[in-house]
Amino acid sequence: MANIAAKRVKREIKEVMKSEEIMGGAFKLELINNSWTELQGEITGPPDTPYESGKFLLEIKVPETYPFNPPKIRFITKIWHPNVSSVTGAICLDILKDQWAAALTLRTVLLSIQALLSEAEPDDPQDAVVARQYKEYPSIFAMTATHWTNVYAEGKKAIVDYNRRVQVLLEMGVEEHQARVALSTHNWNLEVATEELFS
Amino acid sequence: MAETSEARASPSAPGGDAGGEDDKPDERMLECNICLDTARDAVVSMCGHLFCWPCLHQWLETRPSRQVCPVCKAAISRDKVIPLYGRGNTKQEDPRNKVPPRPAGQRTEPENNGGFPGFGFGEGFHMSFGIGAFPFGVFTSTFNFGDPRPSAAPRGTAQYEEEQFLSKIFLWVAILFVLWLIFA
Repeated sequence: MANIAAKRVKREIKEVMKSEEIMGGAFKLELINNSWTELQGEITGPPDTPYESGKFLLEIKVPETYPFNPPKIRFITKIWHPNVSSVTGAICLDILKDQWAAALTLRTVLLSIQALLSEAEPDDPQDAVVARQYKEYPSIFAMTATHWTNVYAEGKKAIVDYNRRVQVLLEMGVEEHQARVALSTHNWNLEVATEELFS
Repeated sequence: MAETSEARASPSAPGGDAGGEDDKPDERMLECNICLDTARDAVVSMCGHLFCWPCLHQWLETRPSRQVCPVCKAAISRDKVIPLYGRGNTKQEDPRNKVPPRPAGQRTEPENNGGFPGFGFGEGFHMSFGIGAFPFGVFTSTFNFGDPRPSAAPRGTAQYEEEQFLSKIFLWVAILFVLWLIFA
């Protein structure tokens, strides 16, 4: 790995360790291997959003050309958000693509991702299904996102009704995540979801 | 930043995240915004941001189509940065004139590489060896006035050394040839 990349990642981790007290545990950052190329981040869902109190794991891959090119980041934890793929966890965020600037750090990028959770950009979606729901049925979107946060990210708020509908499909022998995706996609209409699953 | 700031009695320290054992705020002021190390061959952009020249150069090379300041995304270019000369370093050379280290392969000029492989000794060496106009032809091989040649390799590179060496060899070959003609 290029020297400058490793050196910068080292410095950045040091910086994050210091800032962590200040951030009050808003995110974490740790190394996966010793070559400074792979890290794991964790961000806490911002308050007053459907993601509140959720813990979202992020896979961070630092390219050899860092910091001249952005790190590759995706969600490991499943999340229901217009700018994050509900399948792969890929993030649509301009600073991770063409708006990257070499002075940005892993810390500022994690903060940006956290900010993205507070303020989605449905007009520049990564997941079209989620983005459509966000625009057309904002209340269903908020509940779905809360439900996913509860199930996958240790969020504290459970949506009892949605749990029940997933349970119905589970009893029909549908795999749990598959059932949740079908219901989320069809705005929790049990009939439509069942139809899709068994067609 | 108020909660556990160790009692170091420096209320003036700006920026909550500075303040480790080895990073004094003063020194952090002089860190390059790209490598986060103390800036070497420092340059400052028109928008006031400090960089190592090699770092900034590489940033500009990475995205030739979108030349923006890595910090504030203001327009930036090679000609619009100001080199900083501290008192410490004696030779005040413009860092932009040094060839910055570049990881990508160096581009070589396409000429001289086709048609005449036997004499393709890199640019800058032209040999005209005219036997017909014997005594004068020798001079053309060493004294090439007025004949525009591609620029020679920069001083100090391996190619420069090689060219110097080759030109000496050919000079000796020419001299031996002249001596052979005279004495044979």
